[in-house]
Amino acid sequence: MIRFDSVNKYYGDFHVLQNINLEINKGEVVVVIGPSGSGKSTMLRCINRLETISDGELIVNGVKVNDKKTNINELRRNIGMVFQHFNLYPHKTVLQNITLAPTMALNQSKEEAEKTARYYLEKVGIPDKVNSYPSQLSGGQQQRVAIARGLAMKPEIMLFDEPTSALDPEMIGEVLDVMKALAKEGMTMVVVTHEMGFAKEVADRIIFMDHGQILEQGKPADFYANPKEERARLFLSRVLNH
Amino acid sequence: MIDFSILINNLDTYLEGFKNTIFASIIGLVGSFIIGVIVAVMRIAPIKPLNWIGTVYVEFIRNIPLLIIAFFFYVGLPAVGVTLSGFVAGTIALSIYTASFIAEAIRAGIQSVPKGQMEAARSSGLTYVQAMRTIILPQAIKIVIPPIGNQFINLVKNSSILGIIAGLDLMYFGDIVSSHTFVTFDVYIFVALFYLVLTIPLSLGVGYLEKRLARNH
Repeated sequence: MIRFDSVNKYYGDFHVLQNINLEINKGEVVVVIGPSGSGKSTMLRCINRLETISDGELIVNGVKVNDKKTNINELRRNIGMVFQHFNLYPHKTVLQNITLAPTMALNQSKEEAEKTARYYLEKVGIPDKVNSYPSQLSGGQQQRVAIARGLAMKPEIMLFDEPTSALDPEMIGEVLDVMKALAKEGMTMVVVTHEMGFAKEVADRIIFMDHGQILEQGKPADFYANPKEERARLFLSRVLNH
Repeated sequence: MIDFSILINNLDTYLEGFKNTIFASIIGLVGSFIIGVIVAVMRIAPIKPLNWIGTVYVEFIRNIPLLIIAFFFYVGLPAVGVTLSGFVAGTIALSIYTASFIAEAIRAGIQSVPKGQMEAARSSGLTYVQAMRTIILPQAIKIVIPPIGNQFINLVKNSSILGIIAGLDLMYFGDIVSSHTFVTFDVYIFVALFYLVLTIPLSLGVGYLEKRLARNH
């Protein structure tokens, strides 16, 4: 469903992504971990072309993401994205936040879009916040709205870019619960996170990145019990023993 | 004491100038806003040559004295066969000069909207134009109202350069009243009062708009 084929990316002289080869299948939940600045988020953001690649090939849903002929808006409608800082639209209500893209990009009727929005708000556990503005919600609630906003487009892939990193500790659980439920339903998910508990419990596969490279990947049970790479071992010892 | 008979005896002359100052201001307001929006969009659009043109416009125009721009249109263009009245030349100069400041205010406003807003909108499949219109501009407008309001107030005051190039505005007729009556101080006090009649409501209007926009999220 997503395939990186020898993908490289440079920021000037800085080699952010080095020869990335990765294939993610339909229904798979892939969790990307690694130190800050290792290129995790950059790799994730390449999938819906928020970042372009310098060379190599990246195919999503059978479409070359960086091809000039690709209709990027059409591709993006099929890929939901959840950001670290939620990025809700502050001048719009929760309902408007969720219905905006379905009505504008998919030409759904207002009624249909609102019905879908209410369905997903129910699902993420905050049906009573329909008419609130983002500033009136807690961080955890905002992030759940952001997830509902992504789901309302009925995408085949959901990308999560450190979805809990900006949250107060007591709100992390409510967001992870929504993500776990989503994973159980068979959504294809790529998640960049530091939540090791979530990764262990939900991931089908762990990807460990450092310095722009994928150093190791495997099933969570194997990876956590017995990381092969020295740097992975070091990273795990730092994040797990505290 | 200020001699009000000057105002009363020359009221028609004052009002003629006042009327033309209002015209020049309204045309300048609309013209500079339209040019300003276009230049601002050129400066931020993801197209390099447009960025350059926008930057050259802003840096060139805002760093030349308004009076010289007005002279260019009034005494410069006739040299190449284009003759404009003082009013037309002055109003054009006023518009393109103020536009460079308005373009900068709008650009700064748009760029102060967090990058994540555009990313969220684009990643949900909206086009650049849709994202601009529904997400970025509505947020930018609140930030941009106060500086643009200031530019509009400046524009009304700067319209007094029309007086120097026979633009038939308030300043021009003020000079005429002064040369007829041999009074200077009082004549220009009344000129100033006429400008205040325009600028104070404008200033209050901007303040009101600012408060209203701040209220809704």
